[in-house]
Amino acid sequence: MAEHLTISLVVLVILLGTIFASFSLIEDILTRPQRYFSTDLSGEQMQFVVVHIAFVVISVLVSYIIYLLFSLQTRTEIAVFNTTKSLGASLEQFVKFYEDAPVPYIIIDKSGNIKNPNKAALRFFGTVLEEIKDKNIFYYQPEEDKDKIEKLIRYYKSNVPINREEVRLVTKNGDIRWALISIFETKDPESSARTGLVTIFDITDQKKLDQAETEFVSLASHQLRTPVATVKWYIEMLLSDNIGALSPKQNEYLKTVFKVNEEMIDLVETLLNVSRIEIGTIKIEPKSTDVIELTEGILMELSPQIEGKNINIEKQYDNNLKDVEIDPKLLRIVIQNLISNAVKYTRENGTVSIVFKESFGEKTIVVSDNGIGIPEGQQDKIFTKMFRAENTHKLVGASGTGLGLYLVKSMIEVMGGSISFVSKEDEGSIFTIKF
Amino acid sequence: MEEENKKRILVVDDDDNLRAVLIDKLQISGFNVVGASDGREGLNKAFELHPDLILLDVLMPIMDGQEMLKKLREDEEWGKKAKVIMLTVVEDAVVIAQAVQDGSFAYLIKTDQSIDEIVEKVKGMLKK
Repeated sequence: MAEHLTISLVVLVILLGTIFASFSLIEDILTRPQRYFSTDLSGEQMQFVVVHIAFVVISVLVSYIIYLLFSLQTRTEIAVFNTTKSLGASLEQFVKFYEDAPVPYIIIDKSGNIKNPNKAALRFFGTVLEEIKDKNIFYYQPEEDKDKIEKLIRYYKSNVPINREEVRLVTKNGDIRWALISIFETKDPESSARTGLVTIFDITDQKKLDQAETEFVSLASHQLRTPVATVKWYIEMLLSDNIGALSPKQNEYLKTVFKVNEEMIDLVETLLNVSRIEIGTIKIEPKSTDVIELTEGILMELSPQIEGKNINIEKQYDNNLKDVEIDPKLLRIVIQNLISNAVKYTRENGTVSIVFKESFGEKTIVVSDNGIGIPEGQQDKIFTKMFRAENTHKLVGASGTGLGLYLVKSMIEVMGGSISFVSKEDEGSIFTIKF
Repeated sequence: MEEENKKRILVVDDDDNLRAVLIDKLQISGFNVVGASDGREGLNKAFELHPDLILLDVLMPIMDGQEMLKKLREDEEWGKKAKVIMLTVVEDAVVIAQAVQDGSFAYLIKTDQSIDEIVEKVKGMLKK
């Protein structure tokens, strides 16, 4: 189209140029005819020649312009026809894509009633169109998930984007499938009514795998508790004088074995807590708790490490935290992990500070250190399971499972609180929990 | 004569090593100790000997600890008031809650306790 226009314009300019040249020529002929005609022509004859030439030139120009206009119109018509045809084809293709896509899609109206599910969606629910049409998509969640149902309806009605929400959906035969659903809102092009495109991403298989893994960890940890308890009690019997004294060296060795076994008990406990969080069987039992006493207990427990590295502990307690309604067991795990991390990742003679604050009913515990910090590029990963920052390997004796902060975050969130941090490599970290 | 003054303790646990060390420790601490390796044996010995206290594991073959406790409590005459310490590796919220309210019943997690602490708990409960 554009090419055609350019060519036409160039030809037009050439034609106009030719006309201009012709008229200058005619003007010249009229003023000095003797230059062009050897014989004397009469004025009338000359005029006839001139008018004839002018007529020919103008006719050529006019017919060219007419041709140009006609050809342009035809070309536009062809282009429009082609576009319409390919639009039709793409619409057809789009409908085919929608219908045959392996991902379940559902078009819903403004209240969430199902209008147009694709084949994969019908397969997902194990049903046919007639049975699912005009039913509300949100009520395909099991009744127990009432909170989730209400939340999603509220979100959808108030235009809050729903992006990869994890839900459970009940199929026709009563099976429960796990899915991530996203709802993309749009307007119906014909009626301009609000509609939504629901995408369902089936994650049932992954969920089953995760569940199996978590159950395995739970089972294994329980099974491990018996042998570690057995080892613990036998060592205790040997270390006590109940059955005769050991030599000093034997005593020393056995104490090391005892210490290692205690570490194993801690690891088993951590694994159990992780699996409890993941299976969702963690129990929250809030009761009146003295957070200061709890923290002092933790510091006492960590005193070998603190004294071993000559770490200076700065404390700033707030008496408002002497009586807090919270689950002491979970809070203990949270604070214990934060302080023990601070101690672990701080070099000898460093400082760890623990600050309690309360403002507007929100309680804050800040644990900061001037230790090795977290490298900037890895800060977004520190709460993920089994993650350990690269610089932890440089520090001697700073072994860990990479489960601590994952557990801390999960637990504080289960208790309705939150955790945040600021850190700079080689300068230190500040962790803040709020509840 | 001295034997008869000693308090009698029944240790029910299917793990031989754990049961052995518990029996040794309790004997050294001055108790008369009897062992059983599953709930049914434990129940029989409990009714036969009327021990002053039962240390009871939960996960056991043949009859588990909870089942044995249930059967014990069904006995109005003696079993209902028998002193029991559940000594286990699994937390059960319902049973723990029950243990908190019941003076003749405690629930301990094996890995949380040192063997001396268990002896202390046994002595504490026997005084009640």
